[in-house]
Amino acid sequence: MIIKRIVNYIYGYLRIVVEGYYIERFMNICRNKGYMMWNIKKNNDIKIALNIEIKKFKDICRIAKKTGCHIHIKAKRGLPFLLNKYKKRKIFALCLFIIIAVIFFSSNFVWNIEIIEENGIEIENIMEDIHKAGLKIGELKSNINTKEIINQVRLNRDDIAWMGIELKGTNAIVKLVKADKKPEIVDEDEYCNIVSNKNGVITKINAQDGTANVKVGDTVSEGDILINGWMEGKYTGIRYVHAKGEIEARVWYTMNKTIPYNTTEKQSTGNVETNYGIKINNFKINFPKGVSKFNFYDTIETENKIKLFSNFYLPISIVKTTNEEYENVQKTYSVEEAKTLGIQEIEKELEEKIEDKDKIVNKNINTYENENSIDIYVTYEVLENIGTNEKIVF
Amino acid sequence: MKKSRMSRINKMLEIPKEVYSDVPKISVIGFDEMIIENYKGILEYEEFFIRISTYKGIISINGYNLNLETMTNDDIRVTGKIESFDFERMTD
Repeated sequence: MIIKRIVNYIYGYLRIVVEGYYIERFMNICRNKGYMMWNIKKNNDIKIALNIEIKKFKDICRIAKKTGCHIHIKAKRGLPFLLNKYKKRKIFALCLFIIIAVIFFSSNFVWNIEIIEENGIEIENIMEDIHKAGLKIGELKSNINTKEIINQVRLNRDDIAWMGIELKGTNAIVKLVKADKKPEIVDEDEYCNIVSNKNGVITKINAQDGTANVKVGDTVSEGDILINGWMEGKYTGIRYVHAKGEIEARVWYTMNKTIPYNTTEKQSTGNVETNYGIKINNFKINFPKGVSKFNFYDTIETENKIKLFSNFYLPISIVKTTNEEYENVQKTYSVEEAKTLGIQEIEKELEEKIEDKDKIVNKNINTYENENSIDIYVTYEVLENIGTNEKIVF
Repeated sequence: MKKSRMSRINKMLEIPKEVYSDVPKISVIGFDEMIIENYKGILEYEEFFIRISTYKGIISINGYNLNLETMTNDDIRVTGKIESFDFERMTD
């Protein structure tokens, strides 16, 4: 039944009102001729409303005349009438056609390059290399040979473990996995020394294989040999081994900072101006409101690409510029305030550096007051395992 | 003679009766809808009363808000609040 309705909608139908005393006769004649009628409703004694196919209307008029009924059209429905309505609007149709054509045309290009790095580790200058390899914004999709681009980029760089390019709509998704630097693994069979990789004072040394080169309490600097990769026996002479052992050392992390008592600080007032602009490829149109009325302000620019569907980007983007007003506030710290502020800042930075915070043994803070500033030195003393393998070169 | 043979074959093949003969098929769905197949024509149509003629007699439907939902060559669908319907058997 629904299919019939849809077909009727496509061909168009009329809702007519038939008025007369012999409506039943009229309907029977229509039925005998095989016309389809639906939604028949009696309004009052002599009036009836019904839907009829558009093609049968002329015949129905004749039948109505024969039966002495009066017909008038209540509504015209369906696709032909809808199209007829827009027939006169030629420019509208033309624009619609142009828009469809432009969309079809522009869908053949790449309008956005999305770079997804695994684990969010950023790879420097990757965008330039991709551009150089041939994947550019505005490039024809059929011209892009993903395999070749991947090969070219990977040839130029050695810090990419894996690369994949996926063309989705007008969006090119580049997936990258950064390669770690190859750690130098010294084979178990090969002879090696253990070498310090940090400056510090040895607190514990335990050579399992090889001969200890330093004693507890010795100060070592980076590159010093801690355990030699040879052993000396009374009868066997010098025998080279793969040095093994544990070395614990006190390592110091120091950082200093100078905090002036009088500083000017930026403080945002909360006043914000926003301007919008349209950017088509590299051509920018601004809708400015004139010169900014703020004296001091930060400008933040954000660009949003317009997309039709999830992956169908257009070469148009909306640029939003936000001016945030700030004031320069004169601030004076007392000695104590400057001290605590500086210490807090340094501690925060230092703690990011230190891997194992449980092994912090000592914390040393020195401050030197000057005329209009304070120097703060913070030293962390940490017990750490130091030492890396280094191959013995004969 | 010929007709009876045809009907016997049709019976054997279990073809529905309304397909091969003029017998009307009346199906009532709920109290609000009624479909009549193999009808001849409409005799009377009011909002509260419909008379439909078939080859075996006349069906009259009482109710209110009665509409003829669709009317094609072989079936008619009546919707509305049907209260009663009865048959007038044709005597021949």
